[in-house]
Amino acid sequence: MNVVIIDYGMGNLRSIIGALKYLGVEKISVSNNTKKLREADKLILPGVGSFSMAMRNIKTLKLDQYLKYEVLEKKKPVLGICLGMQLMGKSSTEDELSFGLGFINSKVEMFPDMSIKVPHVGFNQVRVNKESILFDGIEDLSDFYFVHSYQMTSENDINQSLCEYGDNFIASYEVDNITGVQFHPELSQTNGLKLIKNFLDKF
Amino acid sequence: MLRKRIIFTLIYENGFFNQSRNFRLQKVGGIDWLEKNYKFKEISIALDELVVLNVARGEKNMFEFSKTLEKIVEDVFIPISAGGGIRSIEDAELLFNSGADKIVINTILVEDNDLVTRLVKKFGSQSIVASVDYRCDEVFINNGTVKVDKNLEDHLENVELLGVGEIYLNSIDKDGTGFGYDLKTVAKVIEKIKAPLIIAGGAGNEAHLAQGLNIDCINAVATANLFNFIGDSLVKSRERLLNDRYSLAFWDIEAASELKNSLINKKL
Repeated sequence: MNVVIIDYGMGNLRSIIGALKYLGVEKISVSNNTKKLREADKLILPGVGSFSMAMRNIKTLKLDQYLKYEVLEKKKPVLGICLGMQLMGKSSTEDELSFGLGFINSKVEMFPDMSIKVPHVGFNQVRVNKESILFDGIEDLSDFYFVHSYQMTSENDINQSLCEYGDNFIASYEVDNITGVQFHPELSQTNGLKLIKNFLDKF
Repeated sequence: MLRKRIIFTLIYENGFFNQSRNFRLQKVGGIDWLEKNYKFKEISIALDELVVLNVARGEKNMFEFSKTLEKIVEDVFIPISAGGGIRSIEDAELLFNSGADKIVINTILVEDNDLVTRLVKKFGSQSIVASVDYRCDEVFINNGTVKVDKNLEDHLENVELLGVGEIYLNSIDKDGTGFGYDLKTVAKVIEKIKAPLIIAGGAGNEAHLAQGLNIDCINAVATANLFNFIGDSLVKSRERLLNDRYSLAFWDIEAASELKNSLINKKL
């Protein structure tokens, strides 16, 4: 299996690489080279940091066009993690209104409940969607590690699993080959390893 | 429900891990010693989070620290925060690239607010942990050697305004004593703190951890006490607290060995 972690200069990839190695993935690369991306069986879109800066980097590298082709046309499985999950949505109001890759009809905004502590950091329980393939074999209300200041919501059915912090927000989505998780499966011990394995195995 | 966390802190100085007591350091051993006595890769599967602090006095060797960090984080799938001596964006980048998920800053919270703002902007609030060392109402920077003009409450207020993601509140008087956390001071300042709060300094046993976890506004309890929590004893404490229905995250530790190499030779 050949997994490419998309490199657009945002975030620490050590644990993602470590988790893939742990699961026994033979070929792991971190790259923004379109040839390498084309050869990949699965793509992981990671990311930590600001939405608008990330989109600028992605556009500078022309990764947006490539990703649209591979993900929407070729139906290559992709897993977005944290900011990567948000980037595949329509828009975010972090810093300023900016537009994402638009694979998923969703928006990213501040937590509406002003009484809660932001960022949302630590393990929190995920209310697992019964139809979910990503969570196959993972119990409802399992704990995953979150660290984020903005949350995703959607008016569409994107097969989402939810997390509660103040209100409910989207912890994960899966639409055909497009999947995303707000939490960090690579920092969520065996719960996270199981989920990454499901992505690699079942999509 | 958002769970609480138990954090293990490693105090590092020029090649050695240390037991710190009231910020006086006692060398304990190098990375091989740590691996041998704590079986780090094994116990990390049962911990919430790790903090690694470079507390070398004077000029810190960031490069050497980053190399040590790389060794510590290998095969460890928990969030790692690292810091000590960060004075530039490049220092922060070096630690992120060496395996830190978050960086810990302290002295620049007083000496270089402009840099803090730039770090928050570049890496996001959620990647920045503000470490605050205090004694009674006084705040200290530079490994507890320099007293700050502002009192603790004013300092915390400023730290919040800078937009950091978490606060690591460390009592110098309780540090390494094993006498329990300084909950008195925590109670005084807790109203001021809106960011997630980690308390440190003084935990010597499981009951101390529990006392911290019992307080609503405390999000995480940390210990750097290598002696009181030797080997897997922090893991055992966590297990018992979890069984006592403390709100800690749960995952199946046994599943790790089944997952290892489970995708090897997997053809599509």
